[in-house]
Amino acid sequence: MSAILSNPPAAARRESPGLWALAWRRLRHDRVGMVSLVIVAFFLLLMVASYAGLIASDWNREVGVSYANPSFMAGAQNLEAQAIEQRKAAAKAPPVDLSDVDPLAPRYKEWAERAAKIAVHETKRAETLPFGGDKWGRDVLKKTIKGSEVSIFVGLASAFLATIIGTLLGAMAGYWGGKVNDFLEWFYNIFTSIPYILLILAFAAVATSTGKFGKGIVPIVLVLSLTGWTGIYRLIRAEYIKHSNREYVKAAQAIGASNASRMFHHILPNVSHVALVQLSQYSVGFIKAEVILSFLGFGVPVDMVSWGTMLAEAQNELVIGKWWQLVAAGASMAVLVTAFSLLTDSLRDALDPKLK
Amino acid sequence: MTAYVIRRVWQMIPTILGVILLIFILFNWVGGDPAQVLAGKISNPAQIENIRHQLGVDRPYWYQLWVFVKQVFTFDFGRSWSTNELVSHIILTRIGPTLTIMLPVVAITTGLAVLFAVLVAYVRGSLSDRMVMIVCTVAMSVSFLVYIIVFQWLFGFILGWFPVQGWSESFWKNLTYYAPLPIMLAVFVGVAPELRLYRSFFLDEIHQEYVRTARAKGLPENRVMLKHVMRNALIPILTNVGINLPGVFVGSFLLEVFFSIPGLGREVVTAVNRSDFPVIKAVTVYLAIITMVINLVVDVLYKFVDPRVTFK
Amino acid sequence: MNRQSSLLLQVHDLDVRFRLDRKSEPFRAVKGISFDVPEHSTVALVGESGSGKSVSAMSILGLLPENAIVGPQSRILYGGRDLLRTPQAELQAIRGKDISVIFQEPMTSLNPVFTVGEQIAEVLRQHMGMGIRQAQARVAELLNEVGIPNPQLRVHSYPHEMSGGQQQRVMIAMAIACEPKLLIADEPTTALDVTIQKQILDLIANLQQRRHMSVLFITHDLGVVGDIADRVVVMQDGEIREQGPVEAIFEQPKHPYTKALLACRPRLDRRPRRLPVIDDFLRGDGQLHLEERHRGTSAADEIILEVRNLDKTFFLKEGLFGKRAIPAVKGVSFRLPKGKTLGLVGESGLGKTTVGLTVMRLHEATGGEVLFEGRNLLALSEKEMMAYRRRIQIIFQNPYASLNPRFTVGQILLEPMRIHGIGADDRERIDMVMQLLRRVGLAEASFYKYPHEFSGGQRQRIAIARCLTMKPDVLICDESVSALDVSVQAQVLNLLQDLQDEYGLSYIFISHDLAVVKYISDRVMVMNEGTVIEMADSDDIYRQPRKEYTRRLLASIPKGLERAKELEK
Repeated sequence: MSAILSNPPAAARRESPGLWALAWRRLRHDRVGMVSLVIVAFFLLLMVASYAGLIASDWNREVGVSYANPSFMAGAQNLEAQAIEQRKAAAKAPPVDLSDVDPLAPRYKEWAERAAKIAVHETKRAETLPFGGDKWGRDVLKKTIKGSEVSIFVGLASAFLATIIGTLLGAMAGYWGGKVNDFLEWFYNIFTSIPYILLILAFAAVATSTGKFGKGIVPIVLVLSLTGWTGIYRLIRAEYIKHSNREYVKAAQAIGASNASRMFHHILPNVSHVALVQLSQYSVGFIKAEVILSFLGFGVPVDMVSWGTMLAEAQNELVIGKWWQLVAAGASMAVLVTAFSLLTDSLRDALDPKLK
Repeated sequence: MTAYVIRRVWQMIPTILGVILLIFILFNWVGGDPAQVLAGKISNPAQIENIRHQLGVDRPYWYQLWVFVKQVFTFDFGRSWSTNELVSHIILTRIGPTLTIMLPVVAITTGLAVLFAVLVAYVRGSLSDRMVMIVCTVAMSVSFLVYIIVFQWLFGFILGWFPVQGWSESFWKNLTYYAPLPIMLAVFVGVAPELRLYRSFFLDEIHQEYVRTARAKGLPENRVMLKHVMRNALIPILTNVGINLPGVFVGSFLLEVFFSIPGLGREVVTAVNRSDFPVIKAVTVYLAIITMVINLVVDVLYKFVDPRVTFK
Repeated sequence: MNRQSSLLLQVHDLDVRFRLDRKSEPFRAVKGISFDVPEHSTVALVGESGSGKSVSAMSILGLLPENAIVGPQSRILYGGRDLLRTPQAELQAIRGKDISVIFQEPMTSLNPVFTVGEQIAEVLRQHMGMGIRQAQARVAELLNEVGIPNPQLRVHSYPHEMSGGQQQRVMIAMAIACEPKLLIADEPTTALDVTIQKQILDLIANLQQRRHMSVLFITHDLGVVGDIADRVVVMQDGEIREQGPVEAIFEQPKHPYTKALLACRPRLDRRPRRLPVIDDFLRGDGQLHLEERHRGTSAADEIILEVRNLDKTFFLKEGLFGKRAIPAVKGVSFRLPKGKTLGLVGESGLGKTTVGLTVMRLHEATGGEVLFEGRNLLALSEKEMMAYRRRIQIIFQNPYASLNPRFTVGQILLEPMRIHGIGADDRERIDMVMQLLRRVGLAEASFYKYPHEFSGGQRQRIAIARCLTMKPDVLICDESVSALDVSVQAQVLNLLQDLQDEYGLSYIFISHDLAVVKYISDRVMVMNEGTVIEMADSDDIYRQPRKEYTRRLLASIPKGLERAKELEK
């Protein structure tokens, strides 16, 4: 390097890759990462389509016979459905003919004509559904899709909220230190002294018995995010402590940048990749948590379907040999969570590569 | 060291008070009047009125808080809203079964995870390493519920090797007959995430400079891994075990629910279903205190594990 | 220093590459070098960062990282064997016994969970088959030999309980325990204080003599080389530029790089107007400005900054409820004349840097005054201080940490201008930035680049440019060149001097490097443990140090460079 470098006459503007561009480049070369990204994107698309009512909006309709077999098992026996049919048939059997003793007998013909005019649709229930039916004959495939919408949405929303809470609090504690840090550490200690499951159950208890947390999926989102922010708080606080002592922040102070500028304009871009990876991890964890909570009945309300409620139903179905709801919910969840987990790993490697 | 312990105990007090405050706000303030909560669950209106009076619902909040604080320190939470059993009795009798399951689970899971982590560390970077990691990831993606349902069906229903549910009065019968299936389940599911974590601990240590020094001294690779690396990796491993230790008391509530084991976890889940607030409040506060005590003990024992630790 | 001609170790055509990732071409760190290490002598492997010297040394014992690839034609011959092709078991028998290594960072090179005694005993038991008691006794002897006081007690100490210098002695004890024939020392003194450095160097030299070992000494400091080496191998960019006996290299260097290395380091006995830089030699036109520059202060100088009784104490929590006071700066007073440089020198510790940070109010002082243009800066409110912020600026030590990795150079340079309202609009500000980039010797295209695309020296230039955007009066250089390679250091020092000549800037130059301080300062202040030991004009203080500490500091400067013959003008 010479002391004076030659000067090009007109400085050409070339885009220099920043952190995100470099990370994207690295991610593109990671085959596992890209496949995971596609799978996750597919599920997200499914979620949006389901929310918009484009698909699976009629998941609640009882279109099939009870425990309808999946299409690929078309010929198999369905004892339960047969039992129900028999009961129905028995109920429909023509009654004993009482026309000779019934005083109302002359009116039979009139009533029969009137009844014929009111057409009642007796829809034929399907014998098989693409991935089978549940006890009430609802389409398992549609339930799985709708369930994924709920489970993924709850997982993502809780993850976002928890990340925002934890990042904000962690930034304040790490940057300001002193009394602010002491208070936030006290607050953090309270939440972490209680074993995590217990904390969730305690919040869930209040959320489900009183209506105070809101309706629909809001309670469970609040429960998960209000109890789950502690992990990212710790990480972000440590990052802020580290960066606040770095020279570029002292340099910013030296040139007169304000505290707010230092916290959000200078440090935050250096820390955001940590938050992103944690957000991804949270999403995975909260999807799994929602499934368990809904299974126990503390999650989404009963009129909605999620993978958790499906598994709750599947619990009793396995012993009578009806496995498709278990497999549908379990497998689709496994695929999404695997893909999301692998994506998180690839994200971490892309943003912060270490030679392993 | 005594000064350190005293200082830590002194610092625990504001945290305990904070936990009490949090639980109070959650259950008494947000939760509110038990009458609303219990409306559909308890049919006897006199009973509800009794509970309201005990709680002091019509008195100001600071009075209710005082009641709660007194309850905590006298270990007297009154009776369960649903079964009328003494809450203190509930807690004491349920801990046994939970620990019978959880202590073996922790011991076996940690042992297996460390063993596998060392083995994987030997072949780091290779195809086997990646395969093991992917298998772990997939295994972790299947919901615990699915595992329980399938295991119960396979081992209990189809093969009949273990009972699907149940618990007895005898400790040995429990340990050898009723506990094995749940323990096996918990270990099977628990090893994967621990293995991933411990593997990363090992890899972090392998890249440290003292490992290069050990090799430069002419030590064989086995000695380097099993003595130098292992000893250092044990530090974060034991930290991790210490952090998870308090969770042992709530145990795996899912296992207890599925297998009808009368443990603390199942008790809490039932309490949530029945909106039995006293039980939940008591368990939460006491477990929080137990957690802090365990953390303190672990921190003190830490000195024997990591010589760099000083008691400030 | 024996002149035996038999060779202990021969390196032939060593080629080492590193696989960085699956896609790119492996990086060539060492490009086919050959050199020898004779018996009973010290060979110095010299080069700046990235020269490949450490990699070459680590190849000898196969201690390279997992992604290293050694070329098939490379050979390292020792005792009739090619070490690169020796099976693991045999190589392990040689490591620690015939050939041993000491590393640069003793703190991380020692295992933190085992005692010092255990770690040294381990090598004795591995190679000499000693029993536990026998090994322990020998360990105590070794600790004594390397100069550790109370060896019996120290055997049970953990590494973190010892100072850096003592840790390095422990490493040395571990390395010589089995009487090796060759000791490889990889920058063993770089991380240590100046006075400790000298002790360790003496220790190694003594051991080499007494035990008839050979030493392969890797370093970037030619001064050290001059003191201790018999032969010198000069590396740059993975290749050997020149090698030979030390007298030949120092007195008649042939390669321009060697000449440059020898010339661009500031010396205690000369002070040229400009430090020669590598380009001066590579271009071969030898336009050197070697006239002496006079430095000094006089009573008539205008004073721009005056510090009186500056105090800074840090408080740490301790015990049950108490606080422990750590005084970092105690009663420091000095005056900075306009347009001159005040050097602040001393060993590492809190004092020197804290003075700089406190003057700028990056730390809040616990006492004292800082007078600038008649106002006490420490008494101003934050708002009032803003007006003065641009007048006193600072350049930090670590070029890799002082620029925000997420900002482009343009953003970094525009920010201070926007904050202080310099320039009427962004158009004007960008023009000024471009001018500054040119002034500090960077291409205009740098405006759009990120810091990670620049080298250490270039980043310091960006840092300097950032200060210049505000047209300051006083610049505090806090170990600003300490982390740079010698040749780059010379360039940055020249730049700083040019700026002072052109703009009349006043500098406070903080450093632990006495030669650099003497070169660039008019007045020098020596500090130890937070107090001022001595203060005088730079020539005076080096010629006639009055205090004991100053004398000790000066005595520990490696004098090797003085062996180099004077360059022709």
